[in-house]
Amino acid sequence: MRRKPGRVGRRRSVRLVAGPTHPRRDGVDLSVQLGPLRLKNPIVAASGTFGYGTELAPYLDLSELGGFVTKGLSLKPRRGNAPPRTCETPSGMLNAIGLANVGVEAFLSEKLPALRDCDTAVIANVFGETQDEYVAVARRLDGARGLAALELNLSCPNTEKGGLAFGVSPPVIREVVSAVRRAAPNLPLIVKLTPNITDVAVAGVAAREGGADILSLVNTFLGMAVDLRSRRPVLDNVVGGLSGPAIKPLALYMVHRVYREVGLPVLGMGGISGAADALEFMLAGSAAVQVGTLNFFEPAGSVRLVRDIEAWCRRAGVRAVRELTGSLRIPPGGAVAPPAG
Amino acid sequence: MPSDTAAPVIRHEALGREHFLLTLECPAIARQARAGQFVMIQTREGRDPLLRRPMSICRVVPGRRGRIEILYKVVGEGTRYLSQQPVGAALPTLGPLGIGFRLPPEGSRPILVSGGIGIAIFPMLVESLRAARRPTPLLVYGARAGGDLVALGFFRKRRVPMHLATEDGSRGTKGFVTRLLEPLLFGKGRVERPEIYACGPTPMLRAVGEMALRAGVPCQLALESQMPCGIGVCLGCVVRCPADERGPIFRRVCTEGPVFEAGEVQM
Repeated sequence: MRRKPGRVGRRRSVRLVAGPTHPRRDGVDLSVQLGPLRLKNPIVAASGTFGYGTELAPYLDLSELGGFVTKGLSLKPRRGNAPPRTCETPSGMLNAIGLANVGVEAFLSEKLPALRDCDTAVIANVFGETQDEYVAVARRLDGARGLAALELNLSCPNTEKGGLAFGVSPPVIREVVSAVRRAAPNLPLIVKLTPNITDVAVAGVAAREGGADILSLVNTFLGMAVDLRSRRPVLDNVVGGLSGPAIKPLALYMVHRVYREVGLPVLGMGGISGAADALEFMLAGSAAVQVGTLNFFEPAGSVRLVRDIEAWCRRAGVRAVRELTGSLRIPPGGAVAPPAG
Repeated sequence: MPSDTAAPVIRHEALGREHFLLTLECPAIARQARAGQFVMIQTREGRDPLLRRPMSICRVVPGRRGRIEILYKVVGEGTRYLSQQPVGAALPTLGPLGIGFRLPPEGSRPILVSGGIGIAIFPMLVESLRAARRPTPLLVYGARAGGDLVALGFFRKRRVPMHLATEDGSRGTKGFVTRLLEPLLFGKGRVERPEIYACGPTPMLRAVGEMALRAGVPCQLALESQMPCGIGVCLGCVVRCPADERGPIFRRVCTEGPVFEAGEVQM
């Protein structure tokens, strides 16, 4: 079930995103290519952890990043869940923000213009409660100047299908991705997978069949915290999404599996907080990575990673960072599938 | 503009069993800090605890070194690790963050209402009021027990009249701060043109806010919240505000606060 040939050529343009395409002065080429999306380096700030970009401007130079993904955008503004919305857990945190955002129209008129000169790939994250909402938001963003790609968040509850997340049903994934693909033919399409499914590779294949260019994974793992004293859930929403270093091994495994099984470029994420983490994800198959929770406890952490990756490559004699993608050395007989029992 | 810096610990003094006064050298933060603002401090190296802790800036130490003081109480894991940081350790510190207190109009008499470790936010306000030539404030300060009333020396030295209360009655009036505040707003000896500044546990802030609204007295509340980022991107620290026709409104404590007017927030 490979991609149909010639599909990429149907688009008006393939965007070559900002940044040096030639090796840098010191000889390390940090640029990466994910299908139609080119990034100047493999570090992308993840959706929901970076606002609309400008909030982080006091702490870092956006142009030093490979790119960033906006807060998830819906058709209408959303105010989100009641507090408490977050809870710290061992080496991680739970969040149930409730997809609060300014809405696609305010993003286009108030947020995007300020980002046009930031010289990094601006990726708009899109979600909806219905397939029609996904389509409407994607269509609205498709022609917008200054966007490098769309990322579909499939972890949103599908109100037409009993509130289950879009991303847990392969037929639903295929349908929503293909509808968005038709509605937004001009932008590279990233599909962000939920890990809350038996086999993430099955979701990846469905997204590929729907027309995804790139897969990003993983979104947060469902979790909860209980306050023993009050005998109540800590989060007002009861359930939240777990992120941070605590989930790194789980996410790394899923990236490894999707890279082997699906055959689309992967934007891996989950608990990355240092250059070594990012490089490990690349060995497991990520062409580039996203950093999320790190932005909360170290606002300039993402650009530190860019510099540290460059330094590591120089020390390791790696001329182009993209060579690392999928270069994991698996001993003969090493299993890709989960061990039984 | 806030600065993120590895701030060396200059002093770290225990004030009783659970309270500590931490002095950090961070000139860029000290230079910009205003009363009511806060910093995010990483309590120890590593990834557990993962998140920094929001801490009120207690005071900017006079002098050219650019030092700030943080007064805190050990309440959990993060603050326990922080209390173990020795002089010389460098703590990643981000700030100053948030919108601080609005100073009162001339002629108003500030009443500072503090519950427990909420006292940590007030030394800097006392100095800002003095620098702005406002009248000396009154302090209404309550805690669980006498041993939890800290930093009294600071206020005494600056001749701030103190009204103390403890829940167990071991010092001052027995009961909550609202018992001390009420006569100052409604009684015969009530304060002329008062303006309230409050910081403390949520139930206290709620009660003080309601009392101020009833008395028609302007009142600023400094809120605490679970705060993962402190810079307005995680949307985790929100407080509920009065709803409009579209439903509840939530505002970020970190960037839209931590100081709100009473009546603006519903805790």
